[in-house]
Amino acid sequence: MNEPNQPPKLPPQMPTAKTPPPLGDDPAERVAITGVVSAVESILRQPRRVMFQLREPGAGKVITALVLIAVVCSLIYGVIVGSFSGGDQWWAAPVKTCAGLLIAAVICLPRLYIFASLSGSQARLLEIVGLVAGLLALMTVLLIGFAPVAWLFSQSTESIVWMGFLHLLFCFIATAFGLRFMNAGFAQSQAKSNAGFNTWVIIFLLVLLQMTAALRPLLGTSPHFLPVEKKFFMSHWFDCMK
Amino acid sequence: MNIAPGNVSAMMTTKAPMTAINNPPAARQFQTLLRGEADALHGWLHAGDATRMLRDGAVIAVGAGLYGAAMGWWRAPEQALFVAIKFPLIILLTTLGNALLNAMLAPLLGLNLTVRQSVHAVLMSFTISAAILGAFAPLTAFMVWNAPPLTEHFASSRTTYSSIQLAHVVIIAFAGIAGNARLFQLLQRLADGNRRGARRVMFAWLAGNLFLGSQLSWVLRPFIGSPHLPVQFFRAHAMAGGFFESVFNSFVYLFKLIFS
Repeated sequence: MNEPNQPPKLPPQMPTAKTPPPLGDDPAERVAITGVVSAVESILRQPRRVMFQLREPGAGKVITALVLIAVVCSLIYGVIVGSFSGGDQWWAAPVKTCAGLLIAAVICLPRLYIFASLSGSQARLLEIVGLVAGLLALMTVLLIGFAPVAWLFSQSTESIVWMGFLHLLFCFIATAFGLRFMNAGFAQSQAKSNAGFNTWVIIFLLVLLQMTAALRPLLGTSPHFLPVEKKFFMSHWFDCMK
Repeated sequence: MNIAPGNVSAMMTTKAPMTAINNPPAARQFQTLLRGEADALHGWLHAGDATRMLRDGAVIAVGAGLYGAAMGWWRAPEQALFVAIKFPLIILLTTLGNALLNAMLAPLLGLNLTVRQSVHAVLMSFTISAAILGAFAPLTAFMVWNAPPLTEHFASSRTTYSSIQLAHVVIIAFAGIAGNARLFQLLQRLADGNRRGARRVMFAWLAGNLFLGSQLSWVLRPFIGSPHLPVQFFRAHAMAGGFFESVFNSFVYLFKLIFS
């Protein structure tokens, strides 16, 4: 029998999943990110270095570099998207690709800050902005990696549906890696739950998908720069498949 | 100057083996690559020797070129020349086309490799595959030599064509699997035994290379050639369509059929 004042024994602790060490533990993470090249290197190879630098006083410079990467890379990938139709799309598609990504990020940013705070996260607004900038930078850098493949396919097909599917596939893969980076950053902000972040991810994806309809045509041609008729992306896709 | 026998033996035992290890002759390096000696290959990747990459490119050009020549010879000598150029070209263009993507995916999936190292690793696996293909080239040539000629008057049954086609698929698949098995061993060594990371990187690279390589082979068709079509380097509509597109179109067709 147990002693009356003795609490029942706890079951032995299961070995917990490997938790990442605190940011800045590794001296390499403390090395400042000095420019665009260093930012590209860090976002691919040392994402924790980016996360750490976003908490440091010079975070503004890192964010500027990340946004610059996102703008340049999305413009380049936009040229590949525009190469499918040529003509006005040579300039319209890059502008729309870049603008679509930035608008989606700006639209979703306040919600992420609110959701993060509701989840108990200690992250400052600047850090959240930095994580979103990191997401965009990583996404677009990866899209540049897909660019040769996308270009080859865009030159060897006339099917808008197939090309649209391919771009969405590449975008989905790139976004998955970008969101993984954000998730790792979010995990360092001492949030008690991931529910807010997961909800934000779904909303961000929906906004991105809606951009394919709101900024159409990204692939085909049209006399108008922006659509005259309002549509949801599902309806737009079904129309394209008809 | 006279050298005492003792000094010669001392030179042989101290200097010569060191030179052999640091800079082995090309044939020995080739054997090391085929054996997949992970420690040596790991060293090569970190040394970043451009000559070694060029040598790998040359092995691909010769190995895949010879196999391509044997493949195209069935249709016509010109076709043999075309395929001897096209086959290595597909391998090299796939490596270059995916270089950036592969280099980005490696660190994201757990392997910290530079662009040069990832290109070299992929190139090594293709080199092994090309060497195997080169070794199979005489056998393929013999098989083609025994087959009825693939001219406009090709009257043989469909069986001959299908058998040769199937033989090519089996040989190329074998070469590909062997090359990738060696690549996996190397990636494991690079990942310090992290099998999961190595597997993720290998499958990501494999998927990307398969995707681009398939489309490139579609663009650069024909390889065996058709008896009823002229011998050409490119088909007239080389850039039209592709394998993945036709599969995708079938899905869209079925989708429309179900939901309309």
